[in-house]
Amino acid sequence: MVKENLVKDVVKEPYKYGFVTDIETEKIAKGLNEDIIRLISQKKEEPKYLLDFRLKAFKKWQKMKEPDWAGLGYRQIDYQDIIYYSAPKQKEKISSLDEVDPKLLETFDKLGIPLTEQKKLTNVAVDAVFDSVSIATTFREELAEHGVIFCSISEAVKNHSDLIEKYLGTVVPASDNYFAALNSAVFSDGSFVYIPKGVTCPMDLSSYFRINSGDSGQFERTLIIAEESSSVSYLEGCTAPMFDTNTLHAAVVELIALDDASIKYSTVQNWYAGDEEGIGGIFNFVTKRGKCLGKRSKISWSQVETGSAITWKYPSCLLLGEESVGEFYSVALTNNLQQADTGTKMIHIGPKTKSTIVSKGISAGNSINSYRGLVKMGTKAKGSRNYSQCDSMLIGDQASANTFPYIKSQQPNSEIEHEASTCRISEDQLFYLQSRGIEFEEAVSMMVSGFCRDVFNQLPMEFAAEADKLLALKLEGSVG
Amino acid sequence: MEIIEKIKTNKSIANQTEIQKICLDKLQSSPLPNPKSEQWRLSNKSKLSNFLDYSVNEKDPKFDTPFPNTSQSTVRLVIGDNCQINLIKENYSIKQLSENKLVKYIKEQISCFDQNENWSDLLNLSLNCTKNTLGLKISGSQIPPIEIFSHASSNSLNAKTLIIFLEKNCNIDLLQVNLGKDNSSLSQSTFFCLEENSSLNHGVVSYGENKSNLLNSLNIIQQKNSEYNLGSLHFKFNYARFEIRIKQSEGNAKTNIKGMQITKKDEQISTYTKIDFHGPNGFLDQINKSLADDKSHAIFEGSIIVPKIAQKTNASQLSRNLLLSNLAQIDTKPQLEIIADDVKCKHGATISQLNEEELFYMRTRGITLTEASKLQLSSYFQEIISFIPVSKDNWDLLDKLLNEN
Repeated sequence: MVKENLVKDVVKEPYKYGFVTDIETEKIAKGLNEDIIRLISQKKEEPKYLLDFRLKAFKKWQKMKEPDWAGLGYRQIDYQDIIYYSAPKQKEKISSLDEVDPKLLETFDKLGIPLTEQKKLTNVAVDAVFDSVSIATTFREELAEHGVIFCSISEAVKNHSDLIEKYLGTVVPASDNYFAALNSAVFSDGSFVYIPKGVTCPMDLSSYFRINSGDSGQFERTLIIAEESSSVSYLEGCTAPMFDTNTLHAAVVELIALDDASIKYSTVQNWYAGDEEGIGGIFNFVTKRGKCLGKRSKISWSQVETGSAITWKYPSCLLLGEESVGEFYSVALTNNLQQADTGTKMIHIGPKTKSTIVSKGISAGNSINSYRGLVKMGTKAKGSRNYSQCDSMLIGDQASANTFPYIKSQQPNSEIEHEASTCRISEDQLFYLQSRGIEFEEAVSMMVSGFCRDVFNQLPMEFAAEADKLLALKLEGSVG
Repeated sequence: MEIIEKIKTNKSIANQTEIQKICLDKLQSSPLPNPKSEQWRLSNKSKLSNFLDYSVNEKDPKFDTPFPNTSQSTVRLVIGDNCQINLIKENYSIKQLSENKLVKYIKEQISCFDQNENWSDLLNLSLNCTKNTLGLKISGSQIPPIEIFSHASSNSLNAKTLIIFLEKNCNIDLLQVNLGKDNSSLSQSTFFCLEENSSLNHGVVSYGENKSNLLNSLNIIQQKNSEYNLGSLHFKFNYARFEIRIKQSEGNAKTNIKGMQITKKDEQISTYTKIDFHGPNGFLDQINKSLADDKSHAIFEGSIIVPKIAQKTNASQLSRNLLLSNLAQIDTKPQLEIIADDVKCKHGATISQLNEEELFYMRTRGITLTEASKLQLSSYFQEIISFIPVSKDNWDLLDKLLNEN
């Protein structure tokens, strides 16, 4: 028989990325107004169109109301009590990684991020974002040989202004939602990727986001453009130190795939989730959206969400091009007082478009884990198909699992299938495993891992290993 | 929205009963449902306001039931038609509830109302006079089937209320028929209380005529070991909303729901269900089917709520939809909200058109396309219709539906 407290013990595991790097940073004053936005823009030496974009977004944001429809319980955010720009102090220009503050490199080393050139063997190009700015991007020369542009968005603004002007805000307009508008007004940095026509990106690209200070928000913006017949796999990881205050993270990610292009975007999100009493932790309010503009284009989201006090994100696909494909694979694990409201939106606009949704939610402790997804077939989406599967697993009798699928169809010649189920770890299976000499905690871990297998299979190699480890860490360890 | 204006100025009803006063008081400050929640419900606002465009008519014309009562044993009642019943037989009794008891019960219900969620009940009770309320207390076994009619008359809004107590160990078949007329609105609120070990096979058949509207609200409380089976069918309404709220107050109860809505032209028909498990070992099996043709819009929203107390709940919900035209629209939103961990809950939803392979197969066997589609539709309808407790001799619903389509 499963003992309640045993299961509870199993899901307890301290957060191991909670250290703070003691580094001198340059911060601007708290608060948000037009002057702050001008100051950020000035610090980043931005062209006028971008400042106008920010100011317009800010005006819209001021008129908007913070959404409350998700029914998430969190204290009011004081937007004037946040520092909107914080950057580690360093020399003016860095020409190589050797000039980056060793403390910073040490931080990323501790996190296991292969930032230094010695770790070339891992063959992943990394863009590391520390608080508000990108501190280093590796493998740039190698990528440039193939014509791939991979840099921080502030560099892209300077060097590839035409692309930024053409695509920024076209997938997630500034007025899209409250947090997207806030991000558009104050975004500090993020990654920019451009894959030229016919190029298969020679290595996986990765960005690593690290929040270091407790009072500054992180507002990064990622823009990925895949030209005709190109393909790229992009990985994103996040961690933050432990503070007893809540830090706001409001990011925007925009993906654009043209004819025959494919983008795979994988996230392992492990922001600090707050302590057992629910004190501290990151508010992760993110807008992620991809546009399959071209024919036969494909965008695939895979995510493992284990951190953050509150996660509120719906990576979506706008399927415009004929025969374009959208995919969403997600594992969300919540524990203690975490709340996760996550899911996807698949908007079928073009004909013969296809989408697949596989979502696995695991809730333990007193947490709330909701799947909220929209599948919409527009009037022109003839011959389109969708398949969705949402499974939830409950550990303990205090956790809650909700499923809210919204399904809309205006096209008779299309098919939508949705299924969802909720269960708990089967005692029979546990008993069986234990009777074969497998320890209780290992059995739980095996079963959770098996439950998430469909999603883990979709993750790139590096991440699959990390994700398995992450879940094991959260679920294992303390059974004596 | 004549009615709302009158409610605001409190001029809607001359001699208000106690219940009407309470409801009107509640409605006066916010006489319409919360616009945000209506947006989530995807209500067509102009159609909803059209529902409220008629004034209340208390003088019903004589009502002719659509088919003769052939079976002697069936008990047939028409709400608002001065129906009196007091049957006391050897095995069973069907008695009218006294006015005091009715008022007491309704007051209890109102005290747990949520202004937004129970808006249609509040509106119903505030517009309804005593004459249009039927309250029954049923006990015993081997009770003959009961048919209860509600109807609207042209160019007016009619509010009818039905309250039924099923005493312990009682077991009945009950068919409720709601009929709309040309340019009419019918507000029907129904309250059932199923006591221990009772069982109810409930059928709801609602159909209208040109431009008729319906707000049909059904509130069920199930005590332990009770069984509630519902078969429902809604069609031919300009605007219809069917709200089902079921509460298994102590768990250990069984609920089966099979519902269907058919929309054509520019009609909008929606079904909202909320099943609340308030105790362990609850069971639910629900299937809702929609068929949308022409420019119509069919909506289904179902929520299953399983709090911590409701361990070992077994609930499943399925929404199956057929979309037959390019201009029609279907929205479906099955929801699960679960806290108890030892439960089995699942839901599914599909939207598609008629199966082309099956059509092709039938055509290769010499069946015409029209016939083949009819065959497919009849199997689609049959699952629901066979669940409605209705005597086949009187009413061949399947034929009626197939001829309509």
